[in-house]
Amino acid sequence: MDILDFRFDAIWNYRELFIRGLWITLGLTVVGYAGGLILGLFVGLGKLSKRKWVYYPAKYYVDFFRGTPLLVQLLLIHTALIPSIFGHSLGFFVSGAVALMLNSAAYNAEIIRAGINSIEKGQMEAARSLGMPHKTAMRLIILPQALRRMIPPFGNELIALMKDSSLVSMIAGGELLYAGKVVAGATLRPWEPYLTVAVLYLVLTFIFGKLISYVEKRFSNSYVPSPRKQRLSFGRTQAGG
Amino acid sequence: MITIKGLHKSFGELHVLQGIDYEIKEKEVICIIGPSGSGKSTFLRCINLLEDITSGEIIIEGVRVNDPKTDINEIRKEVGMVFQQFNLFPHMRVIDNITMAPIKIRKMGKQEANELARQLLEKVGLADKANAYPEQLSGGQKQRVAIARALAMRPKVMLFDEPTSALDPEMVKEVLDVMKQLALEGMTMVVVTHELGFAKEVGDRVAFMDNGLLVEEGTPDELFNQPKNERTKAFFSKILV
Repeated sequence: MDILDFRFDAIWNYRELFIRGLWITLGLTVVGYAGGLILGLFVGLGKLSKRKWVYYPAKYYVDFFRGTPLLVQLLLIHTALIPSIFGHSLGFFVSGAVALMLNSAAYNAEIIRAGINSIEKGQMEAARSLGMPHKTAMRLIILPQALRRMIPPFGNELIALMKDSSLVSMIAGGELLYAGKVVAGATLRPWEPYLTVAVLYLVLTFIFGKLISYVEKRFSNSYVPSPRKQRLSFGRTQAGG
Repeated sequence: MITIKGLHKSFGELHVLQGIDYEIKEKEVICIIGPSGSGKSTFLRCINLLEDITSGEIIIEGVRVNDPKTDINEIRKEVGMVFQQFNLFPHMRVIDNITMAPIKIRKMGKQEANELARQLLEKVGLADKANAYPEQLSGGQKQRVAIARALAMRPKVMLFDEPTSALDPEMVKEVLDVMKQLALEGMTMVVVTHELGFAKEVGDRVAFMDNGLLVEEGTPDELFNQPKNERTKAFFSKILV
């Protein structure tokens, strides 16, 4: 059996391919995630709108992108949508990033909608009672609080999106999994390249996981900055009532 | 100053306010009492349109509040509100809770707003809490900050929606004292409250509500010592031992 006979030197010759794949995976993840956050915010706000012409497009957007496989969306975008807009393909990176962005925006929209809904009604009422227009209240009062509550689900979304970026290998994406496929084909050894790919994904998830838990801690439940300072200030009246 | 005519409010099938007429003059302190579910809070929340009005009208200083042409934010600048649950903005320091509306809505300079906030904090006895976060305050302190926040807009009327109902008993007095002070300074106030002692002592007029109707109103002496209406009598006989 091949498994008893690992030959990672066979992989070493292709290290450049893996490193390039790693960078492309990272690039797709970062671009797709950032775009998905921004677009998701608008779609999420749209889903909260009372205006039907805002609500329904947002709702159908989420329904479509959550209701169809990402792979189907990716192929639609790469082989149909982009060529028919621009006359030719803009390359796998653009297609991949756009597909990941549009797809994660749908999930982010739901996170954002739920996060905003979770803020007590009294916050909006207090802001409005001071004469603040709805939009200003949203921006200054509701969103800053809601964003904190969205951090854990956004973290999950980052890891999910990173792994989903492997689907871009289906359009010869040059990212991590594609590198593995190429090497497996060239060496006719499936174990080593795919295990390498798996380990590299694990390393990425590990790094992202660390990053996420740092951010989560940084924006923990308390708004009071620096727990160390808090411990040092004696005699503070503690909350009651 | 505030005129209310034929005010009706329904939540779906539930007819909460069933035709209220009332007149509030400048510098008056009106206390609204009555059993739970009688519509007191809803009545108060209709005045600054936190609740839509089903029918009738509310006129504040000659402006019809529920006119579609009226910019409700302009009205709310002049009508401060204090909530049962304080509704302080947890992500802002006490001082920013107070200065935010003057800066963002009244376009006051930052320095001037800070100066004003410090004066108001002094007034409510919390000058040393300017840099604390709401979660570091007790309930009574939170409510006093909430009063300062509303006052920072320099409103012409203050609405209090059961301001002491969510407080531990030992914190009720510190809030009532601030309200008393405010009344002495000539602020026009409408107070929904269960604190009959406060109504007796500070109220210029007391109104008794039951079942969505303003059953009886008069000076504290008239209402507490010689109630005419049977329902008022029954209410007092239940709560005054």
